[in-house]
Amino acid sequence: MLNVVFYFQVHQPYRLKHYNVLDIAQGNDMFDDDLNKAVMHKVAAKCYLPTNKLLLDLIHRHEGRFKIAFSITGTAIEQFKLYSPETLASFQALAETGSVEFIGETYYHSLAFLYDSNEFLEQVMQHRQLMKEEFGYETTTFRNTELIYQDRLSDLIYEIEGFKTILSEGVDRILDWRSPLYAYKNYSKNINLLLKYYKLADDIAFRFSNRDWPEYPLTVEKFVNWVDHLTLSEERGRNQFLNLFMDYETFGEHQWAETGIFDFMDHFPTAILERPHLGFALPAETSKLANYQQESLSFVHPVSWADEQRDLSAWLGNDMQHNAIETLYELYQKIRSKGDEKLMRIARLLSTSDHFYYMCTKYFHDGDVHKYFSPYDSPDQAYIYYINALAELEERLVR
Amino acid sequence: MKVLMFTWEFPPLIAGGLGMACYGMIKALLAQGVKVDLVLPTREFVYFPMRKVSDVDTLPAVFVNSSQQYEYKAQKFKTLQERLEYIGISSHPETYFQFSELIKQSKALNYEYWYSENTTIEEKQLWDDISTNLQGEEELMQKVQEFTLRAERLAQILDFDIIHAHDWLCYPGGMLARKISGKPMVVHIHATEFDRAGGPGNERVHKIEHAGMSFADKVVAVSQYTAQMIMSRYRIDTAKINIVHNAFSVPEDAILDKKRIFKGPVILFLGRITLQKGPDYFLEMAEQVLATHPEARFIMAGTGDMSRKMLRRSASLKLRNRFLFTGFLNRKQVELILRASDIYVLPSISEPFGISPLEAMAFGITSIISKQSGVSEVVNHAFKIDFWNTDLWVETINHLVENPDKCIKMGIDGMHEVNLIQWDEAAAKLRQLYSATLSEHIRKSEA
Repeated sequence: MLNVVFYFQVHQPYRLKHYNVLDIAQGNDMFDDDLNKAVMHKVAAKCYLPTNKLLLDLIHRHEGRFKIAFSITGTAIEQFKLYSPETLASFQALAETGSVEFIGETYYHSLAFLYDSNEFLEQVMQHRQLMKEEFGYETTTFRNTELIYQDRLSDLIYEIEGFKTILSEGVDRILDWRSPLYAYKNYSKNINLLLKYYKLADDIAFRFSNRDWPEYPLTVEKFVNWVDHLTLSEERGRNQFLNLFMDYETFGEHQWAETGIFDFMDHFPTAILERPHLGFALPAETSKLANYQQESLSFVHPVSWADEQRDLSAWLGNDMQHNAIETLYELYQKIRSKGDEKLMRIARLLSTSDHFYYMCTKYFHDGDVHKYFSPYDSPDQAYIYYINALAELEERLVR
Repeated sequence: MKVLMFTWEFPPLIAGGLGMACYGMIKALLAQGVKVDLVLPTREFVYFPMRKVSDVDTLPAVFVNSSQQYEYKAQKFKTLQERLEYIGISSHPETYFQFSELIKQSKALNYEYWYSENTTIEEKQLWDDISTNLQGEEELMQKVQEFTLRAERLAQILDFDIIHAHDWLCYPGGMLARKISGKPMVVHIHATEFDRAGGPGNERVHKIEHAGMSFADKVVAVSQYTAQMIMSRYRIDTAKINIVHNAFSVPEDAILDKKRIFKGPVILFLGRITLQKGPDYFLEMAEQVLATHPEARFIMAGTGDMSRKMLRRSASLKLRNRFLFTGFLNRKQVELILRASDIYVLPSISEPFGISPLEAMAFGITSIISKQSGVSEVVNHAFKIDFWNTDLWVETINHLVENPDKCIKMGIDGMHEVNLIQWDEAAAKLRQLYSATLSEHIRKSEA
């Protein structure tokens, strides 16, 4: 049996204003409410609302055999409440079907894991609480920001009662000859690991509408044949998991409705479920379904799902990013020791990984993706505004 | 006394200190009764007849083409801005001539004026230097060529006593005007190619600078420092050289009171972020001062070809959120950043004058300026340090940061001093120079 494991990432950051030196200490708001509202309205209309509607319909249509998992950040939920409450309601409707799993992560979609373990754990707990409040869901699966994973992460997550599974990227340099289609264990064998099958996931997320791609157009039939083909390698009856992890905004936002992405999704579950040895599973179900001794994998160096390199270089690849994030966490320590809740909140909003992603200078191939997602003209501009915001924060602290 | 004046910068068409200097200078000249017909690299072919002091702000314009002038007069402009946009002064000037056409015309020019009997071999050679070095398809060279052709026309139709050309871009035009009108010419050196390039620079520009200064009746240098440069690098006859220091007059609507942004001491670099201004020395100082005084804030204000390099380097030095960039600032924003600063530094490698420190001092900011600058000749209440002596810059900044009372006192003394450095004095010197040049010229032509 091969189970398709769908997990969609839902995230919106609080974007910063074009914050200049002369804006500092003038009692200004640092975040661009107008832009954040406009983005939320656009993405809700193009992606969240139509896709949620489709998924709800698919769940009903397939009577529980079609399942999906979401990871929704705290900053996204907050902005649903502010700018698009109907979006939150539609996620809640999905939660009520019982065919949806919610995945744990850091509330602020931050890189705290790499800089401040206490802060990381706190943000994870905050997010867990939020999932309980909004969806009545007790999270048991965890994914770190941008699927960043390292052995140490599993130790931290294991410490938190209830987490059994972690999602990460199926990085070739870790898997080597192994297949991402099996559930693994972390290096200390106490956590279940699921690894993204990036080739097929990225066929949908990145290549679906690319006319230069030899496989264009991607039909449901073609894709399901590829999926089916994967089962041929398994001769011992072991359950396989095809982990299709992607940004939820793939639907309607990165791949516009005109590309046929909604039609694809509409017909995909039927085509899978028609074949008796194919099905769907939630991440939380995988450790029970793993009918074999799970091999343990060690990730000495951090991996992620970003860019060709699948490492941290999209957020921590140049001097600007390093100076920015180190400044943030140094300042955060000071704020924390002063116990100023208001400033802690701002620092946390500034810890969202997107801010560092905007400063990425890896142009050419991957950089294009970065540029598409950035509200600023250049990485340098993004850096200037961010550093100014941190200067503002520090002024408020010493006031 | 009426002056035909050529300059490449004038507010709001401004890129640096040249525009500010011309503004102050012309304003003071007008106040002393001198009339100025000003020529700028505007998009449309106009000149600005300035007769009264307020004209420097209203910029009355006349189109050389009479039908255009008629149309222009018929326009109803709601704002000054709108009118200036019409004549193309709000943006950078553009060339509307075809390049090939220009070459043709400039050949004709060459023949007509420079191959006639009453041209000396020396004159002809200097003009050859100009026309050879002005050839080129670069945008700037084309703009200079067009500007030069305008000068020809204006020299024919306007009536004036003397020609005054600022910096090399205007020398070819000034020379042509002198040749056509037979009126004497003063060239004004605000910066040489050696200053701008922070090294030898472009040889074609040297040739044009040399030709302009050689051809001129008088050469004005903005400082002793610059006069020295003109003598040693361009071998110009010392008898022709006059020094007229720049000045600074605080705009009437300026607010000078302190308005802090940061609680810690603020050290400011304000100017083009380019090699000449020594921004890399500023960064080096910041790194060292911040090691002892993390409460300080260093602000690099302005833009330039080294902006990105400085930004990336400040990040690699991990200067945290203590080294900040403002990007381009307009006049009002410059005022705000000055009001928020405590110490101003000008670590220029070579600064013919440098008006910006005077402005900073007028705001009561303690200034530390490069010894390799003209401005250091006119102020006493400022620290003067060789640009390369980073240790001493750091020591001085640390001293001021640690002794805020001394810093404030120095700032106030500097403010009083700068208030006495007015354009009136510079304009009076220029007026005398004009008269002397004229009578010399008359004597020569009579002889």
